Amino acid sequence: MFLADLHIHSTFSDGKLTIPEIVDLYGSCGFGAIAITDHLREAGTLFGRAARYLEKTLTLSTFPLYQAILSSEAERAWKQYRMVLIPGVEFCKDSFFHHRAAHILAIGLTHFLPAKLSVVDLARNIRGLGALAVAAHPVSIRRLSHQTHYLWDQREELAAEFDAWEVASGPYLFTEVANTRLPKLANSNFHCLKHINSWKTAFECEKHPESILEAIRKQELKFKFYYREKGHDLMDWVDASTLGHGDRSSGIRDLVNY
Amino acid sequence: MLVLWGTVTGLLVYGTWLTIRHLSREPQYLDAPFALYPVSILKPLKGSDPDLRENLQSFFNLEYPRFELLFSLADSRDSARPIVEELMRANPSVSAKLVIGELNIGTNPKVNNLLLTYKMARYDWLLISDSNIRVEKNYLKRMVAQLDAGVGMITSVVMGTHSSGVGARLDEVYLNTFYARGMILTAHLGRPCVVGKSMLFRRSTAERFGGIQALGQFLAEDYMAGEAMRLLGQKISISVDPICQFLGDASIKSFWHRHIRWGRIRKAQAPLAFLFEPVITCVGSGFLGSMAFSYFFGFSALNFFCAHHLLWLTCDLVVVSALGAEVSLTFPFFWLVREFLHLPLWAHASSGNTVKWRGKKLQIMEGGLTRPCQKNA
Repeated sequence: MFLADLHIHSTFSDGKLTIPEIVDLYGSCGFGAIAITDHLREAGTLFGRAARYLEKTLTLSTFPLYQAILSSEAERAWKQYRMVLIPGVEFCKDSFFHHRAAHILAIGLTHFLPAKLSVVDLARNIRGLGALAVAAHPVSIRRLSHQTHYLWDQREELAAEFDAWEVASGPYLFTEVANTRLPKLANSNFHCLKHINSWKTAFECEKHPESILEAIRKQELKFKFYYREKGHDLMDWVDASTLGHGDRSSGIRDLVNY
Repeated sequence: MLVLWGTVTGLLVYGTWLTIRHLSREPQYLDAPFALYPVSILKPLKGSDPDLRENLQSFFNLEYPRFELLFSLADSRDSARPIVEELMRANPSVSAKLVIGELNIGTNPKVNNLLLTYKMARYDWLLISDSNIRVEKNYLKRMVAQLDAGVGMITSVVMGTHSSGVGARLDEVYLNTFYARGMILTAHLGRPCVVGKSMLFRRSTAERFGGIQALGQFLAEDYMAGEAMRLLGQKISISVDPICQFLGDASIKSFWHRHIRWGRIRKAQAPLAFLFEPVITCVGSGFLGSMAFSYFFGFSALNFFCAHHLLWLTCDLVVVSALGAEVSLTFPFFWLVREFLHLPLWAHASSGNTVKWRGKKLQIMEGGLTRPCQKNA
């Protein structure tokens, strides 16, 4: 079994660490897989323009460099740490209104797609290119920050378009998502060093990008809270199959209360 | 306005001090085992100018244990060819090759021209150096002596010299004042600007971002190379020795076109910095300062404006002398003209996104990507 974090940001968008630094951090912590998913914002919107001016987003011009660095670092991550690095993107459809904003993770995506596509088109294109479409932090992220509720509000219509929904982001477990039958994934939404102490997903599959994506599709995974400084697990494993079925398991309550 | 003026003036003084400090330093590892760092020097050439022979000869004269010179020409009929061949015959002790042909992988002709030599270079350490650069014998040694842990690229401040013609004089003033100080200041603030006229780096490091071929769609391949190094977590170091660019004769028209091109590249690649350019110039900040001091303290706006310009001129003269460049009696005149041209140049650069370079009309897109303009478009 190995631990994975599939929602990480680097200096290509608003992360604090470069891709090689992220590889070294997670590799030295013994992770089996990571996905680097930098923001790609809608180019024509106010948020998109601001992010571009502040160099906090991937663009058409930086995307090839991003992919090239991910590719060379994937090779190094495997050779040096036996860790899989999966390329990815977080498409950001931002709005001043929480209920109109949506972030979509494309895990395994190596092609450029414009973020201005509709949510459904984006998800279908992502999946059409063999990557996973994941609804990123779809409910309140439990802190004073911009929220992205659109996907959650439309979950009944959009459920079939996504391979998974984030059940945890950073240190917060989302009970709203946990209590549904939607396919789930737990990630850190890593931006800086302290974010490593957060929810992660564990896999028992082969350490290979395709196998990991398949395990997510089949929901053969568990969730775990990783706390680096202690160097050992603080929480019991949570099997994805135990979430969202019948009564709320005491395990979830323990995790939420942590 | 007062805060803005204070900030810009503070940066002017701080940048001037940093420039003096940086250029008066000695490289850290002058006793390094240089034989362990063999270097392939790539010289992309196109056409010849009166100083080409002397400029290239200076590279044959380099004192360095192991290096090779790789000249590249896109066209076999290029006028630089006989000069290179003659120099190679005259300097048989120096390992040198002339490569003719190019790989057309993008819109940047310099990258296309460089690719063959980039691929065939014998050593991992590469120095890309433009044709109009003349160097001292110990140039390479002093550059390599600055290699430190985590440094991915070493670039140099360019000192304009041997200018004739109004355009070249204005270029000289620009390079030896605003640009030199800006380069050292931005490097100190964590956003170094790489100059393609002199870039020393490892090919194995460049391959981690896809090699220089990944930069073929950008007009400012040097800026993007620096960005790629930064995104890889590599440091950019600026050599303590400026390199001399022989400016030769240039008209005001060529000066104007070149600065429009540079301005449009800056607009595409660093739009936020470009947006604030008018207020970080001498004239722009002087105007703001004059208004503020007149309003708040009752100063004469005209007197303040003149005093402000005198301060900038003094700082710029300090930078020029730190570079070791000559100061002629006409320097203040060309300095003033260039300062007052900055705003119209900025306005002109803001008004479009096409440039002409080496006979090609190119459209600069968001992020600095380029594509050829359609004919009659």
